[in-house]
Amino acid sequence: MGKILLDVRELSTKYVTRFQENVYAVDHVSLQVEEGKALGIAGESGCGKSTLALSLMGYYFPPLHYISGDIIVDGRNISRMDPDDVRRLILGREIAYIPQAAMNALNPTQKVISFIEDVIRVHDLGSSKREIYERARILFQTVGLPEAVLHKYPVELSGGMKQRTVIAVAVLLSPKVLIADEPSSALDVTSQKMVIKMLMRLMEDGLVRSLIFITHELPLLYNVTDDIMVMYAGQMVEKGTAKEVVFDPLHPYAKGLMGSIIVPEEGVRGVKLTAIPGAPPNLKNPPSGCRFADRCKYVQPACRVTSVNLRELPNGRAYRCIFSEEELREAYRNG
Amino acid sequence: MKHTLHQIFHSGKFVLGFCIFIVILLIVMVYPLLFPYPPLAIIGQGTFFGPGIYVNVYDSIHAPKYILNLDDAAAKRIASKLSEDDRVAMQEWLVGYGISPEEIDINDTEQLLGLWNTHYDSKAQIPGLTNAKRNYYIRLNAALEGLLATEDAVIAVKNPETGALEAQRTIAQSDYVNVGQVANVRFLPLGTDNFGRDVLTQLVAATRVSLQIGFVAGTIATLIGLTLGLLAGYIGGLVDDVIMFITNLFTVIPSFVLLILISFSIGQERRGAVTVAVVIGFTSWVWTTRAVRAQVVSLRNRDHVNLSKLSGHSIVHIILNDILPYIASYVVMAFILQISSGILSEAGLSILGLGPRTTEVPTLGLMMNWAMIYQAHVLGKWWAYLPVLITIALITFSMNLMNTGLDQVFNPALRD
Amino acid sequence: MKGYWKYFLNKLGWFLITFVFAFILNFILPRLMPGDPVAAIVSRLAQGMSDATGVQAIYQQYADLFGTNKPLLDQFFIYMRNVLRGDFGFSFSQYPRTVADTLKSALWWTIGLQFPAIIVGWVIGNLLGALAAYLKGGFDKVLMPISIFVSNFPAFGMAIILLVIFGVTLEWFPTSGGYGFDLIPSFSWKFFSSVIQHYQLPFWSIVLIAIGGQAIGMRSMAIYELNADYVKFARFMGIKDRKIVGYVFRNAMLPQITGLALSIGTMVGGALVAEIVFSYPGLGYTLLNGVMGQDYPLISASTLIITVMVLTANFLIEILYGVIDPRIKAAQAG
Repeated sequence: MGKILLDVRELSTKYVTRFQENVYAVDHVSLQVEEGKALGIAGESGCGKSTLALSLMGYYFPPLHYISGDIIVDGRNISRMDPDDVRRLILGREIAYIPQAAMNALNPTQKVISFIEDVIRVHDLGSSKREIYERARILFQTVGLPEAVLHKYPVELSGGMKQRTVIAVAVLLSPKVLIADEPSSALDVTSQKMVIKMLMRLMEDGLVRSLIFITHELPLLYNVTDDIMVMYAGQMVEKGTAKEVVFDPLHPYAKGLMGSIIVPEEGVRGVKLTAIPGAPPNLKNPPSGCRFADRCKYVQPACRVTSVNLRELPNGRAYRCIFSEEELREAYRNG
Repeated sequence: MKHTLHQIFHSGKFVLGFCIFIVILLIVMVYPLLFPYPPLAIIGQGTFFGPGIYVNVYDSIHAPKYILNLDDAAAKRIASKLSEDDRVAMQEWLVGYGISPEEIDINDTEQLLGLWNTHYDSKAQIPGLTNAKRNYYIRLNAALEGLLATEDAVIAVKNPETGALEAQRTIAQSDYVNVGQVANVRFLPLGTDNFGRDVLTQLVAATRVSLQIGFVAGTIATLIGLTLGLLAGYIGGLVDDVIMFITNLFTVIPSFVLLILISFSIGQERRGAVTVAVVIGFTSWVWTTRAVRAQVVSLRNRDHVNLSKLSGHSIVHIILNDILPYIASYVVMAFILQISSGILSEAGLSILGLGPRTTEVPTLGLMMNWAMIYQAHVLGKWWAYLPVLITIALITFSMNLMNTGLDQVFNPALRD
Repeated sequence: MKGYWKYFLNKLGWFLITFVFAFILNFILPRLMPGDPVAAIVSRLAQGMSDATGVQAIYQQYADLFGTNKPLLDQFFIYMRNVLRGDFGFSFSQYPRTVADTLKSALWWTIGLQFPAIIVGWVIGNLLGALAAYLKGGFDKVLMPISIFVSNFPAFGMAIILLVIFGVTLEWFPTSGGYGFDLIPSFSWKFFSSVIQHYQLPFWSIVLIAIGGQAIGMRSMAIYELNADYVKFARFMGIKDRKIVGYVFRNAMLPQITGLALSIGTMVGGALVAEIVFSYPGLGYTLLNGVMGQDYPLISASTLIITVMVLTANFLIEILYGVIDPRIKAAQAG
């Protein structure tokens, strides 16, 4: 077990709507990311994975609010840190975030190099234009982006190029943890491949020491990540290594998710695709029992009674269901 | 469609604007039925009579009399003749004359008058008394004669033969008439304007005409804009280039300049309300054209349009069935804005003196024009221009509200 | 920089074309309308009015100068030649004063008033709008209704209200004219202070109207920009809020500048009416006098000058935009 760079314990955050209602988007989520590893977070739209990503950096502004829990980055607890310190020390340096549809993440009226200058200067890491330019140039060279990009405005770059530029800027300060929120969803397949490759390369070269990869595109997860975490309705419902979660999911939701993947591999040919009917519950008033109960094929009356805790298995596996491993596997065998 | 209507009428802004507008419309339609006074009839001899209830004095003499004994009648009578300023002035004079201030209570009318009558001397030398002030006191003194008198007034009629005055009837200070029994009473809530015309009646008529002008101008402008926008947006190519070229030209050339030139050249004789409306309509289509064109361009490559094309429908058919329904919402909004701007344009034209003929119908702009030419604002005759201004603002405001409300319904992104 | 030159030439070409077009329109329109004022002048001349020979002379000089008896095309070239010489003929209502003379003084008064007023109003309006979007809360809730109210008031309405409140009731400022009636324009301090005094109400009327119009637009733009992705990304890279506001302001301002270029025509129109309310000796007042005096040469020249003013302003703003938006230089060069 490598060094744990990000240790999140029972993190809860909420959105406060215009009408002062609380939406409990992230509910007691725990996760760990090891050095050199990539953690995938999977789930359908609205399950809270993006919110989780935003919550992981310890920097909140309305309408997102912190409720409780700990975030420990490389041994340092940042959950109760002063926002200014978080901004100065953590953001970009310890943890970096790449937003969804990253191609829009660049200021349209600013040259790339200008933004890079701003980032470096605000972190007090140097001020001479020449130094900064040199640093940027080397970085771009390392990640395989042409130097000319530095002098361009976002409008002059293609979608894929913009995405990769955003990633490059995000790793400018060699963060320990890089959170990539749907980095490839908005791109064509070729660009997707380039982006994934870039991320992998960053890990290999050590520019990024660990990666959190958020996506709803499940086929990616197996090839890209080491561990997978499945989220549903603001909670983590399953966790394990990629192989385990993809090929031997325990939680019914995870099972349903994986069952909906088209895997062009041998032996999987005859397996039917299954969709999961229904919709997730409203997080303003989370239901008391299992949140997946309404859509679960195997639901029993007991499921709705009390809130379901995470079952931790040896070797790091975990899932949130009242049934035991054997009971679940039995149910799956019977269809 | 039903759902859209439901949404529209649930939009707070739209409903508010709509209500204000409907109220205005109702007033405009109902008022002339209740009070069929000709709006441009000159009823007042003299300028700018203030708002109030005008009771015919002659008729009240002959109306049945009622005796009311009210405690404060006498005090009110005197107070109306002796204003606060006058009392202070009297006190000043008395103090200047030498009476000690403690002896003077300006609120005790009888005492004050008593002191005044005892001591006032027009020739007395009071320190700091200017000539103008001196004349003022002389006038004041004259006016005060008989202020406390309680005799009756006598109405006398001249004998046609002898020329002598013969007393006909007396009017005691406690005689009252019931306004309802006076033959001629005219309620002028907004007084009269500089020509002596009833402002309220005029205002209602003017609102009606201005709305009509706005409506006609708005319709014309929207139709032109719609047609050009559709053609430019859908057909594209050369047609688009030509139309956009013309549109761009007219975007920068201020429309009011064209409006001025055309209105002036037509000449006063030919400038009826409708003519003005038409001219406004023909010079304000630019914005609508652009808006419609932008929408049509974004629509023209949608699947349902392509489907229709493939099915072999004619251009007209496609435009009517596939495109129009989708831009209907924008057209409605544009129409509302065009009406509103049409009314404002007419007002601006009228202020310049290029509005509709002044002898037939009043418009809101014309009323503003008259008020300004005759310096109503400087003279403090607020009823001649303020209600007009408020009406214009209300109309514009209600239309903008409706428009914003509609906008938020059709563009959820704008909902706040 | 090549990109910018391309942009500049494009705008310049457009400016010239529009100018020519406006010139033609200014010439043609009155002559096409049913009440053709030029034909009226000619016919009056032909009738030999029974009025004093003075009036006759006025029409005669117009006919001579602009050749009203010649075919239309000839008239057009004569007109063009005269205008380029700065000769607009004699003013009918102020004979023997020339139109050019009347316009010259009026033009400077108008430019002196409107140019600063519209700019100041635009700047303040945008600042307030941006602040409202950024600060939110109480400031926003107070600013919004006021802006909506003000922007719905017709331009002359604002002018009248200010005049009544500050000029008539409170008597803080004079209510008409560009300077005291008893003064003659000169370079004395007394004259200047009188001018400044008379300047206040018209100036602030126009400023307020401009603010009302701009604040709402800028607020919407700023809100839109504040929610943009690049703001999120910059925030999470640790950039300070203040710098982010700078980004947002720059981005939100660009469409506002474009908007200003498009609406400069209307703003000038509104400002002209405000001038009339205050009997300010600018082009608005000149127009009014022209209309009242049936003074065709004066009106025709005034509208031409106003159009040129607006066209020039539009051109300048677009040039400015090209300088400020960095993408212009870049996009067309690549």
